[in-house]
Amino acid sequence: MNVRTFLVGVVGMSALVAAGASAQEMTERFIPIGQSPGLSGKHTVIGKIQAVNARDQTVAIVAPAGAWNAKVTDRTKIWLDRSSLRQPNLKGTFADLRPGATVEVKPEGRQAGASGGPAEWIKVQVSASP
Amino acid sequence: MYKRAAMIGVLVISLAGIGLSGCKMAPPPDRQSQLIAKGRDLFFNETFAGNGRTCGTCHPAENNFTIDAAFIATLPKDNPLFVAEFNPALKENFENPALMREFGLIQENLDGFDDLKNKFVMRGVPHVLALRTSVQSPAGPRTGWSGDGAPGDGSLRSFATGAVIQHFTKTLNRVPGVDFRLPTDEELDAMEAFQLSLGRQQDLVLPLRLKGTVPKRGQAIFLDNKLGKCNLCHVNAGATANFGGGSLGNANFNTGVEDLPDQPARLTGKAVPRDDGFRSPGDRTFNVPPLVEAADSGPFFHNNAIETIEGAVAFYDGDSFNNSPAGAALKKADPRGVGIELDGTQIVAIAGFLRVINTLENIRQSIELLEASRAAAASEEKRRNLDRAIRETQDSIRVLEGGGLHPDAVAHLQEARRQTEKAARSVFFSRKHTGEAIREQKAARAFLAE
Repeated sequence: MNVRTFLVGVVGMSALVAAGASAQEMTERFIPIGQSPGLSGKHTVIGKIQAVNARDQTVAIVAPAGAWNAKVTDRTKIWLDRSSLRQPNLKGTFADLRPGATVEVKPEGRQAGASGGPAEWIKVQVSASP
Repeated sequence: MYKRAAMIGVLVISLAGIGLSGCKMAPPPDRQSQLIAKGRDLFFNETFAGNGRTCGTCHPAENNFTIDAAFIATLPKDNPLFVAEFNPALKENFENPALMREFGLIQENLDGFDDLKNKFVMRGVPHVLALRTSVQSPAGPRTGWSGDGAPGDGSLRSFATGAVIQHFTKTLNRVPGVDFRLPTDEELDAMEAFQLSLGRQQDLVLPLRLKGTVPKRGQAIFLDNKLGKCNLCHVNAGATANFGGGSLGNANFNTGVEDLPDQPARLTGKAVPRDDGFRSPGDRTFNVPPLVEAADSGPFFHNNAIETIEGAVAFYDGDSFNNSPAGAALKKADPRGVGIELDGTQIVAIAGFLRVINTLENIRQSIELLEASRAAAASEEKRRNLDRAIRETQDSIRVLEGGGLHPDAVAHLQEARRQTEKAARSVFFSRKHTGEAIREQKAARAFLAE
């Protein structure tokens, strides 16, 4: 057996492609802001949207730990967290990201010291109108 | 009359003495044991304010922490597993009761909840044994059939949160606080500790010194990287891969299971969409399950496509595997250009080997449970351990008999089961029968391996 060939074949096609985060994103949608197990408070940014740049598809967020600039990509999933209204969470769009809204952002492979980057998902809190 | 009363008194005191001599004061549980006990209670009893299901609904201890059609057939019709049959809010697009009852399949929405009628997969329930040996991977934790079963950080600890959302909900709205409650951090810690405590805590070291002629040959084929090639992806019959460059941990592969012709669930004519595996959209890969626990926890593969362990081994000799990316890579790496090519006797030999290592693990667990029953302070704990030991022993008998293997060991296992049943019934001689059962388990083991 040519182990090297096998490594390139099988591992290259499957195992390495599968490297990286392996979280199940679909049930993540139903988890309220701040409650994602193992992520919230450790690997996510929770704060308020300060500014939205539609042209660059970026969102500036002010969080207790500092500012964060989230880039919305084709891969970014946006969800509307309506759990405080006791209603089902919904899929959202970039248009749902408005200044003043409370959001939780999961950066894609966040690096220490970075102040922004592509977002894997963004949850937007939807509250009752005042 | 006084003499008779005195004799009765002496008898009562003597019997009480015998009884008490059987009671040993168990040491107080340490913190980890307390956490595991709490996790066990949550796993089997906590519904998280949902539709009535618990983790144990699909992972019952009495059936190797998994479900299959035979086990499902024993459940009463109001069991929460069948919630789609009696809760109108879950009647459509939550489960497929016919496929659940005939093939033990569960509905999952791994590619999203936007089109429940058309976007779903039907999967078997993996057991949760030996997770300590199978979850970790250099690429991150791998949970569920495709390795991406948990939300949050993707860890085993987070898995329960996703399971509650998918399987415990009262309605398809899936609103936390309305349709269920999410587990707390403390509950996730406890359930993780409990699950990690189940089954093997470490991998085998092959080869074992097996005694049976056919299982011994099966082990040799299993370990032969030019013939069986099994050990490349199932190192030591576990769930980790190693192609010579170090452990890859629990890796994902596309082995072509979805390409199998005549898949049982699809033969019914019901809509069963292709399962695209890891991630969304998926890359068609699935992760590697451990094999030590396989023989008594079928059906096999993520879609319960194959019922028997012999059939599961034979899959790797077929076109679906050999034309898959994993099979093609094996062919390419083989000097003869062969993927996996086995004959009938070789398939049965490998399955025989898997049956024997499964039985050895069941014997190990049975002895552990029997010893734990002797040390248990509470009668409920003692009873629970004895009941599980009986189930494990029944599995051992079934697994060996199913392959026509080791009738000599089977005879000892049958006696071990009888003694364990007596221990469970007896008030005063439970320890004696438990000791006998342990001796019979060891006698059976001696026939299987040195």
